Amino acid sequence: MSTNLDGRVALVTGAAQGMGAAHARRLAAAGATVAVNDIRDSAELTALADEIGGRTAVGDVSDPAECVRIVADVVQAAGRLDVLVANHAYMTMAPLLDHDDADWWKVVDTNLSGTFYLVQAVLPHMRNAGAGRIVVVSSEWGITGWPEATAYAASKAGLISLVKTLGRELAPERIIVNAVAPGVTDTPQLQVDADAAGVELEAIHRHYASSIPLGRIGLPDEVAAAVELLADFDVEAVVGQVISCNGGSTRSRA
Amino acid sequence: MALVTGGASGIGAAVVEALAGRGFVVGCLDLSPTLGGPDYSVAVDVSDPAAVDVAVSEMRDRLGPISAVVTSAGYYEMAPVAEISPDAWRRMLRVHLGGLVNVARATLPDLVELRGALVAVASELAVGGGDGDAHYAAAKGAILGFVRSLAAEVAGHGVRVNCVAPGPTDTPLLAADSPWRADDYLTTLPLRRLATPREVARCVEYLVCDATFSVGEVVNVNSGAVI
Repeated sequence: MSTNLDGRVALVTGAAQGMGAAHARRLAAAGATVAVNDIRDSAELTALADEIGGRTAVGDVSDPAECVRIVADVVQAAGRLDVLVANHAYMTMAPLLDHDDADWWKVVDTNLSGTFYLVQAVLPHMRNAGAGRIVVVSSEWGITGWPEATAYAASKAGLISLVKTLGRELAPERIIVNAVAPGVTDTPQLQVDADAAGVELEAIHRHYASSIPLGRIGLPDEVAAAVELLADFDVEAVVGQVISCNGGSTRSRA
Repeated sequence: MALVTGGASGIGAAVVEALAGRGFVVGCLDLSPTLGGPDYSVAVDVSDPAAVDVAVSEMRDRLGPISAVVTSAGYYEMAPVAEISPDAWRRMLRVHLGGLVNVARATLPDLVELRGALVAVASELAVGGGDGDAHYAAAKGAILGFVRSLAAEVAGHGVRVNCVAPGPTDTPLLAADSPWRADDYLTTLPLRRLATPREVARCVEYLVCDATFSVGEVVNVNSGAVI
């Protein structure tokens, strides 16, 4: 019984690269028409939309008016909206007292508020359809916290509470809300980490893998598999939950 | 080859169907096997370690080495804690926790060899507890602790051990007059209805086949009963 999204329309945010692109490919492979969002247009985003037979939906999701516009554009072009995958994220790290206040809030307003604005924008359309699936990409750090990541961890933990609350609030309307919490995943973000640490990408991979029971970091498609499950309209009974894809890192640290 | 305990009915039977749909040859251990469904069945009480060893061995001879295990065998009964007899307590632990441990021991060499996956069926009551559920919740809660620990122990061998925790599910385990079927209870669920065996089986299928970066994870399929 694999997921069948024939005739469904999905919006995936932060989809130009990394995990978002994997989610979009996975949902398209399951039959959905997928609109791929990112903060700016790019050759990558257009190529992805072309590859999966979808469309681009460019805009800054930290702006509520932009969320309404993005969603309206998708619905106008594709006729409906069944699935939202809120995958976009902005991350900076700094010791608490060194973290610039405006930047601290930019992390929270992008990750947490942006998802809130998106949910508000998609709800009327899901209510029209009589059902919907909202999958929020949180993070392992939203569960465990992390040094020098107060803004990011707070935003991701806030997303988990938002999901639990919306799970309760919207399930009676058959709009099912859940979260995925990825651990360390092989995305372009790791190159940023490597550059910041002044080491090779391979060294960063080994460093992270050494604290993961499965002995390796994850792949974007492994997280996308959880997104696909939570976007499956044959599964309603998973409500307000967080599915971790982290190789066991929150269970034990070797 | 996938081995499913308690595969003759309810969630187990739905798991047999789901895994067969993903291309597995499926063998079933059950107290009372039924015809049809699995490719081969052995009648066994999973609380008996020696009998499980024999049954698993027979299963391997018949269907080949085991790359996936789902432990779904179990039963449900409610009682106030003062009325749970030592025998009732012991039986509850032996069937649920013992049924998992015995089957895990018997199949682990194959799972390591094939870098396979094990999924235990726990319960929402393991997470949230419930009035009148002391022995059932304790047994299912022990499954969570076992799963997380075994997951950490064998992850380095490439074996994934995970868990589903179903809420009240529309199976024969739930009597027609069960309080879990009453409207008063169902209206407290965000989804307003029981989970179905197919929904639980879909999550088990995900953990067996697709959750290649999850270990020690508990997927809650409970209509929002515990969030």
